[in-house]
Amino acid sequence: MLHVLAPVPGTAVAMAEVPDPVFAQGMVGPGAAVQPAPRPQEAVAPVSGQVVKLHPHAFMVLADGARGVLVHLGIDTVKLDGAGFEKLVEEGAHVEAGTPVIRWNPADVEAKGLSAVVPVVALDADTGAVDAPARGEVATGDALFSWS
Amino acid sequence: MAQRRVTVQSEVGLHARPAALFVEAAAKAGGEVTVAKGEGTPVSAKSILAVMGLDVRKGDEIVISAEGDDADALLDRLVEIAEAG
Repeated sequence: MLHVLAPVPGTAVAMAEVPDPVFAQGMVGPGAAVQPAPRPQEAVAPVSGQVVKLHPHAFMVLADGARGVLVHLGIDTVKLDGAGFEKLVEEGAHVEAGTPVIRWNPADVEAKGLSAVVPVVALDADTGAVDAPARGEVATGDALFSWS
Repeated sequence: MAQRRVTVQSEVGLHARPAALFVEAAAKAGGEVTVAKGEGTPVSAKSILAVMGLDVRKGDEIVISAEGDDADALLDRLVEIAEAG
């Protein structure tokens, strides 16, 4: 059982509420999302493992050398081309769950007309593999869901 | 084994939406489907983790390979996704 933590503070919502079918329909995998608190913050690693991909607006942590968790900071934020995002670790680094990975401000993303919601995805997992998704207010590092 | 070479045209490369569409289409195939960046090592085209891990950018050439009766139709579809702008 892999415990996946909330990478940002805010309100946990169902993946189906994310305004992008790639995430809402579970095309990349199941999980949960967080509507982040609109203030400057550090997005942290949701699991311990290797940061196998690190973009300014998204990152992927590989746990146990096998299970990848994707954290996507906002929707269509690739369009911002990194503006407003600061990487705090190097790609390839090993991190503990809770290690700050990217500094950003969801309020700035929303000010540009984009959704700042943060999907957290169990990549390639079967829908039934994700259990006990959190709902409502979460702090950074709170349990978000478990991956069997 | 049928094979195609294609230059990725998507602005975001083979990430996010194009990657999801690509993997979703590949996963429907009965046989093995692989994708490689240039002359690199092929990975499973049915795994979003593997495909995003390739880090394919706009303008990169990829090689897609598939087995089975439906290989050509599948490759047509995958090429279409990779070439979509």
